[in-house]
Amino acid sequence: MEKVTKKFAGNYRNLAKISDFIIEITTNEGFSGKDVYAIQTAVDEACANIIDHAYQGENIGDIIITLVTFPKYIKIIIEDSGTPFDPDSVPAPDITSPLEIRKERGLGVFFIRKLMDEAIFDFSSPKGNTLTLIKNKRS
Amino acid sequence: MEIITNSFSNFDVIKIDGRIDSYSAPTICNTLDSLIIDGHFNIVIDMQDVSYLSSSGILVFLETHRKLTRQGQGTLILTNMPPDVYSIIEVAGLENVFTFCDDLQSAEGRFQI
Repeated sequence: MEKVTKKFAGNYRNLAKISDFIIEITTNEGFSGKDVYAIQTAVDEACANIIDHAYQGENIGDIIITLVTFPKYIKIIIEDSGTPFDPDSVPAPDITSPLEIRKERGLGVFFIRKLMDEAIFDFSSPKGNTLTLIKNKRS
Repeated sequence: MEIITNSFSNFDVIKIDGRIDSYSAPTICNTLDSLIIDGHFNIVIDMQDVSYLSSSGILVFLETHRKLTRQGQGTLILTNMPPDVYSIIEVAGLENVFTFCDDLQSAEGRFQI
């Protein structure tokens, strides 16, 4: 097991740096290109949600990302100190509905849940939000 | 992220290079809005050099598609889709909403008189 933690200021410009960090570690861990892209998407959407919803703006607080690697999976822990984010309060996109009445606001959370094997949202005061993501390696 | 716009007689090609995420999506949104305000309704987006597309980028394309649909003229075509980028549109269930062309030539062919 290896563990690496990085702290990023919560702003949109840093999303590219966060992606670079995720791509480097997951590629080195042997994930396929498709899975690296999926993990990148889930983490990017989670971090954008933190800036949008938990901090409700840029440069209000930090985003702390910890990657823990295991032989068969990777665990990604994303922490912020913003207001509680309740993923259940975000309506899931109804991809079967007609275009004009689609509710796509929850697309980011939908991607996180769809692309990762596990996604656990948690909030504790005064620590803040913790999102734990798991992605299994395909044999 | 870089945007290059090439205008032709009855359509425009927007080539995007880099990431489309929450940082860059507003710039792309402004570019597309400006085209529509100026009466340029046939828009091809060349995605060949797009390395990443987030939900914020998808929403920009969806909103542009909606504006064109509402006014009853114009088409938004996405072309040269990288497989990973296309797959995220499939995950969103939007593969039948947007118009896709394999390459720039076939996209341009849709608008040539």
